[in-house]
Amino acid sequence: MGRVKIAKKSTFIDMTAMSDVTVLLLTFFMLTSTFLQKEPTTVVTPASVSEEKVQETNFVQVLVSPEGKVWLTMNNDTSAAYGNENMRKALLEKAASIYNETHANKVNFTEAQKETFAKLGSFGVPMAQMGDFLNMANEPEGLTKMDNWLSGEDGNPNHVTGIPISWNSNEDRPTEFQIWMKAMRQTDNSALADKIKDGTGVAIKADQNTAFDIVHMVMDNLQTIHMNKFTLLTALKAQE
Amino acid sequence: MAEVQEKSGGDGKKGAQKKMHIRVDFTPMVDMNMLLITFFMLCTTMIKSQTLTIALPSNEKVQNEENMSQASADDAVTIILDAKRKPGSFDVDSVNGKVVNEVYYYFGKPGGDAGMFGAGGAILSENNNIQKSEFLTDEVNAAGIHTARGIRQIIQDRNKEVLKEVNALKEKYKNGGFGDLETKDGREKAQQAFNEAAAAVRKNENLKKPVIIIKSTPQASFGSLVEVLDEMQINSISKYQIDNMTRADSVMLIDYQNRHHND
Repeated sequence: MGRVKIAKKSTFIDMTAMSDVTVLLLTFFMLTSTFLQKEPTTVVTPASVSEEKVQETNFVQVLVSPEGKVWLTMNNDTSAAYGNENMRKALLEKAASIYNETHANKVNFTEAQKETFAKLGSFGVPMAQMGDFLNMANEPEGLTKMDNWLSGEDGNPNHVTGIPISWNSNEDRPTEFQIWMKAMRQTDNSALADKIKDGTGVAIKADQNTAFDIVHMVMDNLQTIHMNKFTLLTALKAQE
Repeated sequence: MAEVQEKSGGDGKKGAQKKMHIRVDFTPMVDMNMLLITFFMLCTTMIKSQTLTIALPSNEKVQNEENMSQASADDAVTIILDAKRKPGSFDVDSVNGKVVNEVYYYFGKPGGDAGMFGAGGAILSENNNIQKSEFLTDEVNAAGIHTARGIRQIIQDRNKEVLKEVNALKEKYKNGGFGDLETKDGREKAQQAFNEAAAAVRKNENLKKPVIIIKSTPQASFGSLVEVLDEMQINSISKYQIDNMTRADSVMLIDYQNRHHND
């Protein structure tokens, strides 16, 4: 009786090649990734056939929620002189000084508060509450609390979310939104000022279902301070 | 690969040294890498947002009225954007869970030459020349012929002369009329030459072209504004502006909606 001999084979699979591939992939993703910025509200931008890409640096993003709340993000280039942290500090100083020209309740920020502001991505609280907001960074879990305030989820009725904005065509009494936008134009970063002038430096990001009235108010505010050109952020739609 | 075999060193005098067989198991390493890859894949944005540049007039009300009325009634097309939402709010419709975008248009002046308002400001419904349309993409038949529909068809009808020239240029570009399309460098040059030629056609004063005025009701959605701006680009419209609704516009829109609310 001949018996078929089954050769004993090892089940050990050599994973080295697999490991090589995964490390390569990992390197690729690590090098190409730009992390998603955490934003106070999630919006779905409308699709468009436009092929212009969004600026990488030196632009201001105006995030508009469907409820009409507004947040700002300032992106500077990474050079040492005009780095984000320096420019944001300067921005806060500029905005405060413009605010103090037209408001009776003056605001002043300490060096520590400016440092905190320089590290923020998006911001959007009324100027009068900015001090309290920035002081939060010193509390335990302060950064989470600040994020919650920005997204309006902290449950404190006294905390106002979003930069105050209203219909206004009087340039001499700017809304807080206009104050911030004016300050953006006046920081030392001339590249940003140039881009704001030619329209690529201001990007409005709004949800596709946001009512026109709300977007119109933001655009009208910008028109009042002579920022007539700006861009709308859209998602890619295949050319038909 | 992941094994190291050691040959027994020398012939050995006292019993050959044992054969060493080292094998490293890479499976946990691969597991960990996969987790990291997943993390990076989920956290990155590969597609950058696109942007649409718009230029609005300054807010100073020094707008010369002549400039506005320069668009002769013949050329003017007014597009009005509207949306159905939850009554009395800017929220999405509570029934469908979405916003129903609507688009209306009229040619020339509101209410035609006679206007919308009669003696004593009476509203003349019979003069209402507003019509409803839709945002529709091209219909492509079996032969691959594109047919424009909805608002796009209306715009294209009005912009025939420019589109004819632009399409001729597109054909020329495809056939290599603007330069060699084989190399990357050549393609870029050809594209640039095409863009310049197309811009010249759009600006050509001898061609009849419409002036499109885009108006939106407060509840219209931002998405449809972007969509209508897209149509301007698709249909090579050189003259368009975003404007505010006038009283006549609102009256016509409400009048139309009242008459067609059962549709």
